[in-house]
Amino acid sequence: MTRWFENIVLDEVFDLGAHIFSESEIIAFAKAYDPQYFHVDPALAVHSHFGGIVASGWHTAAVGHRRMVDALDAEEARLRAAGETPGVSGPSPGGSKIAFDSPVRPGDTIAYTLSVYDKRLSNSLPGWGLLFNRMTGINQRGEHVYLSEFVGFSKLRDYRPDLKTRAVLALRKLPLIGGWLKRLT
Amino acid sequence: MTNPVTQDRRHFEDLRVGELIALGRVTVTKAMIFGFAREFDPLPFHLDEKAAKASLLGGLAASGWQTGALSLRLLNDAFLSKIASAGSLGFTNLKWKAPVMVDDTIGGTVTIAELRRSDSHPQWGIASLDFDIRNQKNTSVMTMRLANLVELRDAAP
Repeated sequence: MTRWFENIVLDEVFDLGAHIFSESEIIAFAKAYDPQYFHVDPALAVHSHFGGIVASGWHTAAVGHRRMVDALDAEEARLRAAGETPGVSGPSPGGSKIAFDSPVRPGDTIAYTLSVYDKRLSNSLPGWGLLFNRMTGINQRGEHVYLSEFVGFSKLRDYRPDLKTRAVLALRKLPLIGGWLKRLT
Repeated sequence: MTNPVTQDRRHFEDLRVGELIALGRVTVTKAMIFGFAREFDPLPFHLDEKAAKASLLGGLAASGWQTGALSLRLLNDAFLSKIASAGSLGFTNLKWKAPVMVDDTIGGTVTIAELRRSDSHPQWGIASLDFDIRNQKNTSVMTMRLANLVELRDAAP
């Protein structure tokens, strides 16, 4: 969560809470991004093997991401309230898999969890680490509907660049020489 | 059993490995970035231009999930709406290679990389579809592989 890279404990499972997928929300998302008949048209969807409309898998994934962002916010607020300085999450360079194991149907409640299964220092960004996140989604019947494995950048608390890196970082802030250095480094 | 919705579309037997699907284009506006981020990715660097400038992204950029969603829409329009698609198993090897900044126009291609019959469901084949999404400067911004189920016209083995 929004902890410093150093404070992340591997395989600790965070409850991200649950989301109820309403029919109108499933259809609205799919109309915008994935308008296949079994996502947008209840009458036509009867002819599909699903037997009715189901959520776009990307919708299930996007909602899971939202649950994670909300959990990060809550963790940050908790740390601040405890007088601590929260860590910094960065953008994600991608992920190895997103699996839709069972369909999500209107009215289903999907409970999401998050854990970090591995971490290492970034090779490309000094001062940052990489977290390997696993997210799961389980419906109200206990069936797995979603699994994803994602990478996220996380800032190091104890990072102290060596002298050469500090000099380059300082020079990069200068207007003329900075642009030239950014292209080089 | 014939599916009346998909019977006149291309089926699994009609697809060929190496087929290149040209996608349309979409320009990602500030309103689109804020709208998507508010609903699915309310991180400061997708919602606030000042915070975005100070972040690793260096300016207001779309959520990677939005880039993926818009790419999926482009594939729907160019391909998925014209084949007997039966849904997706998932995605693999997703890479957000460069941020999609405000007012960038994205498009690109999808290639049919692999076609195989489903082991467990004789009525379906699995098409592996490789996305190569690029911005207006032809910089690659996202790649990923979609495993999509496609109905067979003739399910006999």
